[in-house]
Amino acid sequence: MAVQVKNRLRVLRAELSWSQAQLAAKLGVSRQTVNAIETGKYDPSLPLAFSMARTFKRRIEEIFEAEGTRV
Amino acid sequence: MTEQTPSPNPAEAPIDPLSTHPASPFMHTEAPAPVAFASPPTPLQVVPSSSTWVLYRTQIEFGLAMLAYLMVLVGSVVVVQANPEASWRYVVVLFPVAPAAFVIWLFVRALARLDEKQKRIQMQAFGFSLGFTALITFGYGFVEGAGMPHLSWTYVLPLMAVLWALGAAIYTWRYR
Repeated sequence: MAVQVKNRLRVLRAELSWSQAQLAAKLGVSRQTVNAIETGKYDPSLPLAFSMARTFKRRIEEIFEAEGTRV
Repeated sequence: MTEQTPSPNPAEAPIDPLSTHPASPFMHTEAPAPVAFASPPTPLQVVPSSSTWVLYRTQIEFGLAMLAYLMVLVGSVVVVQANPEASWRYVVVLFPVAPAAFVIWLFVRALARLDEKQKRIQMQAFGFSLGFTALITFGYGFVEGAGMPHLSWTYVLPLMAVLWALGAAIYTWRYR
C-alpha cells in the first residue's frame, strides 16, 4: 500500500520569507523541483529530505507527515 | 521689525554655549566628518548546478558542438564525394564521429548535473522514447516486409530524439 506523504514546506518557507528559487539554491535543486514537492506531486529522496531538515533546522517529522499520522 | 522681548521664564531663556565666553576653557570644535567604512565583503556566491546560468552555458556548449559536428559532417561528405575512389575515404567519413562523441559527452554531463526530479523525468522520457521507437521500427519492419520501401537505419536515432523530447515535455508537464 502506497503511503501518501504531506509536507509543510510552503509554510516553513513562508515563515522565513524565502522564495522557491532561494530555497532551491540552498538545496541545490531546481525551482520546479521545490514547487513539485510543495504541491505534493513529487516526494523527495531521503537525502534531499534530510537536507531540507538541516536547512530549516527542524526534524524531518516536522516537515513531512505520512497520511493518517500525526507529528 | 520687532525687538525680541526676553522671556520672563528663566527656564526658557536661551543658553550661551560654554565656548563663547572669553574666560571659557572650552573650545568650539566642529563635529568630525563621518568616515566612510568599506562594506563587509559579500559572501562568495556559489552557483548551483541547476541554476539558469549553468543551463544556458550548457545549451550554448551543446549548440556549438552540434554546429561543429554539422560542419565536419558536410566537409567530410564533400571531400569523399570529390574523391570517391580514394583509399583514405573510409577514414574521412569517420571524422564526424569525433564531434559527435563530444556532443554525447556534453549530454551525459548535463544529465549528471540534473537534480533528482529532473533525472526521474529524463528516465521516464527515455523509457517513453525507447518503447515507442521499438513499436514504430518493428511496425515499419513488418510493413516493409509486405512491400513498403526500405528506410535507412539513420532515421532511428532522430526518431528516438524526437520521441525523447516529446516524452520529456509530457512528464515535465505532469509534475507542474
